Amino acid sequence: MSSIGTGYDLSASQFSPDGRVFQVEYAQKAIENSGTVIGLRGKDGVVLAVEKLVTSKLYEPGANKRLFTIDKHIGMAVAGLISDARAVAEVARTEAANYRSQYKSSIPLKYLNERVSMYMHAYTLYSAVRPFGCSVILSTYTEEDGPEMYMIDPSGVSYGYFGCAVGKAKQAAKTEIEKLKLKDMSCQELVKEAARIIYLVHDELKDKQFELEMSWIGSQTSGVNQQVPANVHAEAEKDAKAAMEEDSDSETEDI
Amino acid sequence: MFRNQYDSDVTVWSPQGRLHQVEYAMEAVKLGAATVGVKNKQYAVLVALKRASSELSAHQKKIIPLDNHIGMSISGLTADARILSRQMRSECLSYSYSYGTEIPIIRLMNKISNMMQSSTQRYDRRPYGVGLLVAGFDADGPHIFQICPSANLYECRSMAIGARSQSARTYLEKHLADIGNSGTLTDLLKHALRALRDSSPNDTELSSKNVAIAVVGKDTPLKELSEADTQTYLDMILSEERRSGDTAGGSDDAPPPPPPSDPPAQDPTPVVAMETQ
Repeated sequence: MSSIGTGYDLSASQFSPDGRVFQVEYAQKAIENSGTVIGLRGKDGVVLAVEKLVTSKLYEPGANKRLFTIDKHIGMAVAGLISDARAVAEVARTEAANYRSQYKSSIPLKYLNERVSMYMHAYTLYSAVRPFGCSVILSTYTEEDGPEMYMIDPSGVSYGYFGCAVGKAKQAAKTEIEKLKLKDMSCQELVKEAARIIYLVHDELKDKQFELEMSWIGSQTSGVNQQVPANVHAEAEKDAKAAMEEDSDSETEDI
Repeated sequence: MFRNQYDSDVTVWSPQGRLHQVEYAMEAVKLGAATVGVKNKQYAVLVALKRASSELSAHQKKIIPLDNHIGMSISGLTADARILSRQMRSECLSYSYSYGTEIPIIRLMNKISNMMQSSTQRYDRRPYGVGLLVAGFDADGPHIFQICPSANLYECRSMAIGARSQSARTYLEKHLADIGNSGTLTDLLKHALRALRDSSPNDTELSSKNVAIAVVGKDTPLKELSEADTQTYLDMILSEERRSGDTAGGSDDAPPPPPPSDPPAQDPTPVVAMETQ
């Protein structure tokens, strides 16, 4: 980026001469340092998986989650600055709760996504604030519309996805996701794939410890967002580790 | 030119995706005296090293009670901590008023962490320059939480923050399982004090004057121990040799000598906002 240091990259409210807003691009950089997060949308639900990097043994295992429940029918996975992400989660929860109290029904994800996107976008407009240093993936499942998934960028841009990845190894994860026939897959299958992909893209050398977090929502959970049950989680994790072993075995054979 | 043109405001991302102002605020935590939090299955305990600004002054306050079941110890800018503690206390009160029960610790933590987050995103604010260790007991048992100026929130099995706290963390990591399984409050307190001792300056011995201890747990409302009680527990570990001692028993866990980068304790430094500059 040749424009770094020219003074056009110090404020979110200023364009560079070639029409870019550097502060937003820098915020996206913050996400590229965080653990990988993926979302997979299958035929009967959505699975979210997070590679949560653990920087100290002193942290309580299983706590400090990167997966949130926004409303009973909406899940959220976050990449980037966790403190920023929690603020976004709080906004999303408030939005969902307000909708519920006004309309006496669950907020459609399409609408929530629009609201949260607008909120994050507003932080890219003014010099008095900085853009959020996080990306969020929202998931839901309803009888009427089936599974849905959206991802929002620090810029406030969002898209619906069948499969998405964000964070450190998003490129590698995307490549893996593209190999899947997502439209035909059930949540049970997706959980296994999600675990496998997270283990695959994890960089053992740079980041030693990590925890795999997974949540799902779909017809099997009756449209309620929940952590993947411990036994399913353990099974998927075991398979993922086995797949890794196999992988490294075949590699050595090649040599 | 400037050494770093991206470090003057919290609202400016650096090209690497870092927030320098927030990182600098994290440094403020390291200026305060060390404090340690540990827990077992029944109790959560905070111990803190207190500084005195002069021979004639009293020691600073490091542990702040928040509710019957929650207390916190601080490291960094004391004045910032007082603002936070006031807000946390009123949050505790308003929760008990609304729901008639004591606030779950995680609820309070999320609330305060979100509040701290907003001051890392606005031009007209600065991050809070204080690190918090919160100990509490609720329906899920005892908890230790760490909150950073970055508004990051971590639930911990044990933790130490403040000046030279790496030595204490080394001790805690080494004895992680022991601490979590320690059967009695006395054992737990001894671990906490040993960790704290590892972080105390070389010329400072722990005494009932410069150590604060707070305990909370099952059927035990938050209580800061009196000087006499503190002395009782101190006596248990002071008889053990310190760091690279010459007798057996615990001496093999001695952490490396403190890095020379730590300012040698000249006059004890009072923690004042401007001094972090």
